[in-house]
Amino acid sequence: MKPIITSIFLGIALVGQTAIAEENGAGLYKSKTCVACHGAEGKKGLLPTYPKLNGQSKEYLVAQMKDIKSGARSNGQTAAMKGIMHLVSEDDMTSIATWLSSLQ
Amino acid sequence: MKIVLRTLTVAISLALVNSVVAWNETGGEKDEAMHLKPNKEHGKDVYEVCTACHLPEGWGSEDGTFPQLAGQHVTVTLKQLADIRAKNRDNPTMYPFALPSEIGGAQALADVAAYIEALPMNPSNGLGEGTDLALGEKLYKENCVKCHGENGEGNSEKFYPKVQGQHYKYMLRQFEWIKTGKRHNSNPEMVKQIQSFSNQDIKAVVDYASRLKPPKEKLAAPGWKNPDYK
Repeated sequence: MKPIITSIFLGIALVGQTAIAEENGAGLYKSKTCVACHGAEGKKGLLPTYPKLNGQSKEYLVAQMKDIKSGARSNGQTAAMKGIMHLVSEDDMTSIATWLSSLQ
Repeated sequence: MKIVLRTLTVAISLALVNSVVAWNETGGEKDEAMHLKPNKEHGKDVYEVCTACHLPEGWGSEDGTFPQLAGQHVTVTLKQLADIRAKNRDNPTMYPFALPSEIGGAQALADVAAYIEALPMNPSNGLGEGTDLALGEKLYKENCVKCHGENGEGNSEKFYPKVQGQHYKYMLRQFEWIKTGKRHNSNPEMVKQIQSFSNQDIKAVVDYASRLKPPKEKLAAPGWKNPDYK
């Protein structure tokens, strides 16, 4: 019985964490200025060469953010984004990506 | 040898011509915008896209990522926008926002620059460490006063920016970029003048400049929020 209860609690805690990450993600998406270039809810890039982000996979988003921040990825339009990435921590990336991936 | 010398001379004169042109080209939309009657109400609409980074108040960020725009001379804002548009100031983040498709033509530039100049300024901009202000003051008075003014007020007519009230970390980065040439739309006289500045000099003079206060009537009350964007 005990393990089941623990699992339920764990499950609730995990769902809760995702919900918190999504909620924070929406706020961070604005405060870290992502919205300026990628548009409301990541639905419209400022230029045709800027990607849409809504519904993108979370893992892919986090990987791109990390690589642009570190400079490992420096092609395409990344120069426009690199200049602000010092504002975004890895926790922020996870929250933002969780939220963006949940959007239609 | 002669050919080498001639090539060098040509290269140097080209570089000089380029630097003069690059500093402040006349003609084009910037001049056109300067002679138009600004409509601040429309400027408010144009400015909306800027608020995502420069904030509705135009105060930028204390960490220096984004400069304070509020209170800046119309001429300076126009010059910087025109330079960023023309890729004459290397700023890939800002570039698409300066495009005519985003901001608009000369009238829109005039309108947004007038709106920005009228915004009340940040009463608590980011400052340096405050540990070397005597050196900073000495350097500022010897080097900067002539163009940026005793109190950092700049010179609208000559396109010299206001530095009073600007964030320390923003100015520090720009100063370094002006010195190394990365900010290549800078006044060549300044570029030349600051070549001998050490890192200590740079920090000290920028720290001093960050503490120059705008006149009281130009400052907002602490915590002021721009009612135009509720």
